[in-house]
Amino acid sequence: MSAQATQNVQRVKIAPVVPREPIGHGVMTSSAITIDRLTKKFPSPGSSGDKFVVLHDISLAVDEGKFVSIVGPSGCGKSTLLNVIAGIESYDGGNVTIHPNANRTGSKPRIGYVFQSPRLLNWLTVENNIHFVLEAQNVPRQRWRDLVAQNLEMVGLAGQERNYPLSLSGGMQQRVAIARALAIEPDILLMDEPFSHLDAITARKIRFDLMDILARAKPTILFVTHDLAEAVFLSDHIYMMSTKPARIFKQVAIDIPRPRQPEDSEIVDLEKTLVREFFSVVEVKG
Amino acid sequence: MELHLKSIGLRTLSIFVLLLLWWTASELMNDPEVLPGPFAIAQTIIADFRTPGPEGESAYFDVGITLARIFITFSASMVAGIGIGLAMGLNRLCERSLLAVIPLMLTIPTILMVFLAIMWFGFSEAGALVAVMAVVTPFIAVNIFEGTKAMDKSLTEMGVTFKAKRHLLLRKVYLPQLMPYIFSAFRYGFGQTWKIVALAETFGLKYGIGYMFFFWFQQFEMTQVLAWIVMFVVLMLLLEHLVFARIESRAFAWRAPVAQ
Repeated sequence: MSAQATQNVQRVKIAPVVPREPIGHGVMTSSAITIDRLTKKFPSPGSSGDKFVVLHDISLAVDEGKFVSIVGPSGCGKSTLLNVIAGIESYDGGNVTIHPNANRTGSKPRIGYVFQSPRLLNWLTVENNIHFVLEAQNVPRQRWRDLVAQNLEMVGLAGQERNYPLSLSGGMQQRVAIARALAIEPDILLMDEPFSHLDAITARKIRFDLMDILARAKPTILFVTHDLAEAVFLSDHIYMMSTKPARIFKQVAIDIPRPRQPEDSEIVDLEKTLVREFFSVVEVKG
Repeated sequence: MELHLKSIGLRTLSIFVLLLLWWTASELMNDPEVLPGPFAIAQTIIADFRTPGPEGESAYFDVGITLARIFITFSASMVAGIGIGLAMGLNRLCERSLLAVIPLMLTIPTILMVFLAIMWFGFSEAGALVAVMAVVTPFIAVNIFEGTKAMDKSLTEMGVTFKAKRHLLLRKVYLPQLMPYIFSAFRYGFGQTWKIVALAETFGLKYGIGYMFFFWFQQFEMTQVLAWIVMFVVLMLLLEHLVFARIESRAFAWRAPVAQ
């Protein structure tokens, strides 16, 4: 990488912890993630120096405890956006800030990540896979046992501690990945198309379970998907992204009360409207 | 399990056939100076373990010395090889600088390396150590380096995302993925090591199986020469099958999980 290219490279910022004033009836509403005019470039393949813009002028805010989805076609840079937020990729312009949970003063915000594929360490038992992230996050050892048991129970895998990932089905492996991400008690849970590799029936079942899990664990979620129906069913808020360069062209707040059913007419209607809108803006090749 | 027993049976049978052929040949030839039979060899081996040899020590001593030499030189080569291979895989500068040197080392024929080491260090334990390390370390390093190239980047990314530090990644993410490469390097490197140690003992190290072999070779005692060769082969096969194979099957237990 040239010296010029390394200039202005930024990484996700952690906001200082400030005690917040309760708003309204003593309910705290505040942002967990704010993204302000984010721009990210990648070097063009083949040519030297030239860069193409992956993310263009992205601004969004995710409120604490909310389920926010980003919907866009494949290859629009959604995963890159998550990686920037996770702090494993830098960016070129704008600001990405993570606000530590006001209720958990003193610690840096914890970020859990569920990837498209489970990304488990197949040579470790289910329990040791969770221990791995607990060790990485410096969670005190005496809490490991409870955290493993609690979270496996939550994803419906109680008693699977000693099994190896390869003895589990794809859906169960993805549940382990969810338990792993929740075990670190994340302030923010990033999910990158976590159900796209599963068959429709398994995905549907896990989506339902996820709603129950979140009702208990209550992290802030940023969920990336190309499936509008999934996004409408799960989210409090949707950002719609177009491709080349990726930018946000619409955001929708979804006030449909929970618990929801994927077949609820409100959900189906909203999905239809959004799909129409989506195709009027985004040109999909193929 | 049944298959396992079958393969053990087959192996036993083929060794038995080999012994039978050997016995038949020795009976037909009927000249123990040229080809002693398996029973004569077995008796000689037992006697070598029971009675002091030409240097006043029984075979236990020489076998022990050879094993110690193999163990020490091989362990040193493995540690150095894994370290260098990892450094090459995880660090660009190491990769670039060492990738030019290692093929050079691998090109030099093993026997020349042994002679070189002996010329520099004389007939000493240090000479044997240098010879083994010069041959085996680069080979292991290359194997481990190949392994690092084949590692699953998505798992590294997972670890980094969850803020795993380098030593944790090394223990739980990198090394387990390198195990197949470490084991194949282990097997080949071990084969190389005992050949080099035997060679060095034959040429001039005092004591050891190779030394005894050469001693009896100079006396032209065919029975003893064969007895020491057989001792060596049996010892190495036992190590291979009883020790390494067990470590290996334990290390890869996760690959064949029992379905619930």
